[in-house]
Amino acid sequence: MKKSRLTTFTVLAGVTVLFTACGGGLNEAAEDMENENSNNEEENNLGGEENDSEGEVVEEPGVLNWQAIPPYSLQATDEERVEYLESAISEWEEENEGMEVNPMVTTSNISEGMARLQEQASQGRAPDVAMIDSYIFPRFYDYLQPLDPFMEEAGLTIDDFFPFAQEVMTGPDGNVYGIQFTTDVRNLYYNTELVPEPPESWEEVLEIGQELSEDGYDAFMFPGGTDEPTVNTSLWPYFWAQGGELVDEDGEPVFGEGENREIMLETLEYLEELVDSGVTPTRVTTYGNEADLNAEIAGGNLGMFIGGNWQVAQMREILGDDADKWDVAPIPHKDPEDQTTLAGGWVWGIFAEDEEKQQAAFDFITHTFVEDEGMGEWATIGGYLPTRESLYDSEHYEGGEFSDEFSEFLNHAEMRPAAESYTSISAELSNAVSSVLSGSSSPEDALDDAWESVQ
Amino acid sequence: MQKKGIKNRGIGENPIPWFLPLLAVLLLVFVYPIIEIVRFSFTDAGLLDTNYSVTLESYTSLFTSPGFTQMLIITGVFVFFSVTFQMILGLAIALLVDQGMKRKLHGTIVIRTAVLTAWAIPGVIIGIIWMMMYNEADSGVLNYILSSLGIADSVAFLSDPVNALVSVTVANIWRGTAFSMIMIYAGLQTISRDVIEASLVDGANAFKRLFKVIIPILSPVLFVNLIIVTVETFNTFDMVMALTGGGPGRSTEVIALSIYNSIFNQFELGQGAATAVVLLLINALMTVIYFKVLQKNQEVG
Repeated sequence: MKKSRLTTFTVLAGVTVLFTACGGGLNEAAEDMENENSNNEEENNLGGEENDSEGEVVEEPGVLNWQAIPPYSLQATDEERVEYLESAISEWEEENEGMEVNPMVTTSNISEGMARLQEQASQGRAPDVAMIDSYIFPRFYDYLQPLDPFMEEAGLTIDDFFPFAQEVMTGPDGNVYGIQFTTDVRNLYYNTELVPEPPESWEEVLEIGQELSEDGYDAFMFPGGTDEPTVNTSLWPYFWAQGGELVDEDGEPVFGEGENREIMLETLEYLEELVDSGVTPTRVTTYGNEADLNAEIAGGNLGMFIGGNWQVAQMREILGDDADKWDVAPIPHKDPEDQTTLAGGWVWGIFAEDEEKQQAAFDFITHTFVEDEGMGEWATIGGYLPTRESLYDSEHYEGGEFSDEFSEFLNHAEMRPAAESYTSISAELSNAVSSVLSGSSSPEDALDDAWESVQ
Repeated sequence: MQKKGIKNRGIGENPIPWFLPLLAVLLLVFVYPIIEIVRFSFTDAGLLDTNYSVTLESYTSLFTSPGFTQMLIITGVFVFFSVTFQMILGLAIALLVDQGMKRKLHGTIVIRTAVLTAWAIPGVIIGIIWMMMYNEADSGVLNYILSSLGIADSVAFLSDPVNALVSVTVANIWRGTAFSMIMIYAGLQTISRDVIEASLVDGANAFKRLFKVIIPILSPVLFVNLIIVTVETFNTFDMVMALTGGGPGRSTEVIALSIYNSIFNQFELGQGAATAVVLLLINALMTVIYFKVLQKNQEVG
């Protein structure tokens, strides 16, 4: 049974990759998997292949230029998403006679799409309303319209949003400049048959892990490749929990000096110990993102892993009823009291100068993505987590099996710094983690190399 | 009438008009990009920034970066072993297929086609195929075979820095052998039967026939092949990107992949361009050696 599932998974994964790589996507199974993965890929894709964006800003009264990333647009590969968006647009156009939505799509390379949007915004050429990656949203405050009056009118309060989202949405002058409408979170998954009580600290991870590995299990895994998910799941949460800062107020890297260096070093040493003690197999360095762990989960030999909330649906698909034995817990930190984790997600920002268009843009996004019905339905369809706490009790949101837990984890979530230097910090430190895990560098050398490279 | 004929012949004999289209294409898609790359390598340009200033920083930071020497060594090892084994295996398969054809054995065409397939598959797909082969979990093909045979339990094909480089090189050898085989097989068809028969009459054994007759005759083909394969391997990054992404750490980051990462992942056009210029110089050096040796060979001939 286990073998056949594993074989099916491997073949399916292979087919998916082949089809995706060929740009085909004709195969339904491949498409399904692609959709499920898109949830985290949009978070993790700091680079990747280039695709040209589509649609031009139309400078006409009555036309609302609305820009989204591919999985949130009419070009999504998931039919349910497209249907939802199509009906939301036509409903809104009917209600607002004389208005028309001009759908625009960014490139699938998120970093590039965001950099382009920033350039457009600085030149006053941005769409009326656009989707912005939550962690870099602060770079856009200067170009965006304040939304407080609109929010008040719509009966939306900022206090309903999770703390990390409030922080992102509020500009330095105290005004609200955007609405974060989806998010995601990283956490510990554990197999309750092997690990009855989840570890709460590094010490407990090592303790439980060593027992498991002595019994022949793969105790504890996480992405350890040279990509963004590695730092998102396995470095930043640990580093932040101990008070570490990646950049200073001016956005300059500071992770390699003073106390930050000590914290970073200690974190890398923990990762090294996980591998040296046999708790974590070195092959995690071949896993570039969370979904790469799915083969291990399917194999049935894994005790615990750090992953993202979107993996619940993937595990259900891969394991069927066997997914019942998996449970979630906060990421175990050095200090068992800490629950720091990382959240991502997307924010709507309104660039339109024209007041009528600002109102139209606000109405359209609240109707489709922010009000109870809009946020609930979109989060349900896309498998995202709502950013408003009250939504978790709403009839419109059909959360997965752990949505209450995820909502609790989100209260301890932090975001990556918006600084421009982040791209190279992330690249260098994911290399450092990968080098330490593979044994090719000591934590100290890896950190020094990364620090030297970002200078 | 006569005049017109002469005029027509004039155009026909003058090579310049015939070269113009080629020249225009070369200028546009070859010379211009190279000039741009060299220009950008002396700036701090970003991929999406329109503002930049002229600086030598890209080069200084490249040459002083902690990973630069390691990257050159990794690339050197990757290229040397890839080229050596592609040539040897390509020659061996070409000789086998050639003998097979001469002996009218069944299946030689199938073998030729099978080998060619490896060459026709895009690098990214090859990377993914080998990733499934090297997978270190239970679902990995090679590890499954090795553990079933009781040879080894779990080999760290991709997560050990040294093994990863070996694994990437092996995958690249698999990919490139076909090209060498095609070139060498074509070369073998030009060898006259008389020469081989003459050596048989002289009593040369198979070993001597190969090293004293076949290889010397093939040497121009082998040499051209060597240069093409070397330059191609220096430029390889698609398969490596799909297979290891340059990891673990930077242990399989070849120069071409580093250029891609700098420009398209970190948007550092200046730094990427400077690395590209280094690669360009290496390739130019290869080409110069190629022409020098070819010239020498012709003189000797």
